[in-house]
Amino acid sequence: VIVEREVKAEGAAGLHARPAAAFAARAATFRSTITVHKGQMVADATSPLLLLTLDVRQGDRVVVRADGPDAHAAVETLARLVASP
Amino acid sequence: MRTLTGIAASPGAALAPAFLFRPDVYDVPDVPDAEPASGVVQLGRALEQVAVLLDERAAGTAGAPSEILHAQAALARDPALRQAAEAAIRAGSHPARAVVAAGEQFARTLERSGNSYLAARAPDIRHICDLAARAVVAAPARQRPLPDRPSVLVADDLMPADTAGLDPGMVRGIVTARGGRTSHTSVIARSLGIPAVVGVSEATEVIADGQTLGLDGCTGEVVIEPDAVALRRIAGTAYAYRRHRARLRAAVVGGPARTTDGARVEVAANVSGPEELAAALREGADGVGLLRTELLYLDRPGPPTGPEQVEVFRRMRELLGGRRLVIRTFDIGTDKQVPFLPTRPEPNPELGVRGLRLARLHPELLEVQLRAIAAAARSGPTAVMAPMVSTVEEARWFAGQVAAAGMPAGTEVGVMVEVPALALMADQLAPYVDFMSIGTNDLMQYLFAADRRDDRLGRLPDPFSPAVLRAVASVCRGAGDSAWVGVCGEAASEPAWALLAIGLGVRELSMNASAVAGVKAAITGASLAACQDAAHRALCAADAAGARSIAEILLKEQS
Repeated sequence: VIVEREVKAEGAAGLHARPAAAFAARAATFRSTITVHKGQMVADATSPLLLLTLDVRQGDRVVVRADGPDAHAAVETLARLVASP
Repeated sequence: MRTLTGIAASPGAALAPAFLFRPDVYDVPDVPDAEPASGVVQLGRALEQVAVLLDERAAGTAGAPSEILHAQAALARDPALRQAAEAAIRAGSHPARAVVAAGEQFARTLERSGNSYLAARAPDIRHICDLAARAVVAAPARQRPLPDRPSVLVADDLMPADTAGLDPGMVRGIVTARGGRTSHTSVIARSLGIPAVVGVSEATEVIADGQTLGLDGCTGEVVIEPDAVALRRIAGTAYAYRRHRARLRAAVVGGPARTTDGARVEVAANVSGPEELAAALREGADGVGLLRTELLYLDRPGPPTGPEQVEVFRRMRELLGGRRLVIRTFDIGTDKQVPFLPTRPEPNPELGVRGLRLARLHPELLEVQLRAIAAAARSGPTAVMAPMVSTVEEARWFAGQVAAAGMPAGTEVGVMVEVPALALMADQLAPYVDFMSIGTNDLMQYLFAADRRDDRLGRLPDPFSPAVLRAVASVCRGAGDSAWVGVCGEAASEPAWALLAIGLGVRELSMNASAVAGVKAAITGASLAACQDAAHRALCAADAAGARSIAEILLKEQS
C-alpha cells in the first residue's frame, strides 16, 4: 500500500538537527519505504542529513509518503511528529 | 645549517631538538588494502564506532549539549552518508578517503544552501567523517603536544586546547608556521616565558623531527642544525637573557611596586590556569588581574560542571594566598567556539555574539560559573568581571546575576572595557561596579575598526596612539574615586606605555608573566608626578610616534 499525507510543520525548529534526528530514528523503525517531500524536493525519511537539506521550517507544508506493509501506521506516526509543536 | 626567519613573538633563546606536532596529518594509503566488500564492512564498523562514542559522550552530559551529541551520533548512522561512501568504495576508493569525500559533498551542499543554519552543520559532518576515517586507519585522536624530553615544539599553529597544560620544562621553545604577535600561540608563550618565533611559513615542511633547532625569540631567527658559530651565539643569547631576567626578578620580587613618590601600583598576571600562575608568581606578580576561564570550556563535549570549576579556582586561591584573583567569566565566541554552544555563522564575528552577549543567551551556564566563583571567593580576595560589555544596562544585569549567585561580601564586581561605547560612559557605569579593566587588544581593534589578526593593518592599532590614551583617560575620569581602573591588554606589558597609563590614573596593570619584572622595575624608578605630566602631554600628541617618544623619554629619565 502507498499512503501519503500533507502536514504543516509546527515545531519551532522545523525539521532541523535534533528534530530531524528524532524523525529519522522513528522512520527507521517501519518496514515501509518512507519519503518526505517539500515542493519539488524529496528526501529519504531515515536520513537526518537528507531531511536537513530539505530545510523544513516552522509553518512549511510537507508530504509524508510511505510504501509498504505498515504504510498507514508509519504515515500516522510520522505526520503527528511533524505536526507536534 | 639553514636559517629561517619569522616574527619574534616571545623573548629568550632556545637550543633543543625539534618536536613536530602534526595533529591533522595521518596516513591513508592511496590504494585500498582490501577488497571493496571488506572495505564496506570496515566503513560500517568505523561509523558505528563513532556513533557509539558520541552517544557515550552525550550520556555523560545533560540538556542541550547532550541532545546535540545525540544528533551528531545520528549523522554518523545516516544511511545517505553511508551509501555515498559505499558507492565510492565499490568504485575503488580507500574507505577512509571515501567517507571523507562523501562527507565533504554533503557539507558543501549545506554550505551552498544559502541558509546560515544549514551551513553551520557542515563542520559537524566534516568532524564526524574525520573521526570515522581515523577509526578506519586506526589513527590516534588529536593528541596534545607533550614531548617527553626538552624540545622545541614545531607546529602549523597551536589551538587553545593544545597549549593548555604545556610544560615549560619540556617545551623550551615554540616555532609555528602561522600566527602573529597577538595570536593565541604568542600570548601563551609569553605568559609561560617560553621563547617563540611565529609566522615561519615553511616551518613544518623543512624542519624534521629530532633535528637540532636554535631559536631567538628576540630577533625571530630559527636555525636548523646550527654550526659551531651559531650554536655559541644562540647559547650566549639564551644565557644573557636568563641572567637579565634573574636580575630584574631579584630587584622586584617580594612586594608591590611603588613610584618614588609613594603611589602603589598593582602589577598582576594574565593566566589561564594554575600552571601559568605558578610561573607568574616566580616572576613577582602581585596577583592575578585576568584569569581566562574559556579554556575550561574548550575541547570537550559539554560545559564544565560546578565542582570542576570550583576545583580549578580553589587551586588558584591556594597558590595566591592573600593576593587578589580577578576571574573573568567565560569569553566564548569569535575564535573560541565550543561544540555545545553552536552559534550561527556570523558575517562579522568580532561584532557578534561573544562574551557577556553569549552568556545572556545561556544564563544557566553563567549561573553555574558564578556559583563556583562564589565558592572560591570565600577563601581569599576575589573579583569577578564580565567580558565584552557594551552598555551600562548590561553591566547592571551582570552585577545582578553576581549578587543572585550568593557571592560573599567583599567580592569585587567589575567589567572589561573593550567597547568604545562603554569607555565613553564610564561615569554612568561607575556607580554599579567596583572596578573597570581595560582590554586594550579589543579596544584598539574597535577604536580603529582594524582587525588585529590582519598583518597588513598591524601598524594601525598602536597602543601609543593618542586615541587609545584618550579612551583610557575617559575611563579613569569617569571612574573617579568610586571604581578602580586596571589594564589587562598587551599594552600593559610595555614599560613605557605602563608609565603613561599610571599617569592617566590606572592603578592595576595585568600582563603576561614574562613582562611583570620589567614593568615593576620601571614603576619603582618613576615618580607619579612625572608620569602624570608625560601623560598629559601624550594626550595632546598628534600621533602615536609623538606619544611614544614622550613615553620613552620618560622611561629613560626615570630609570
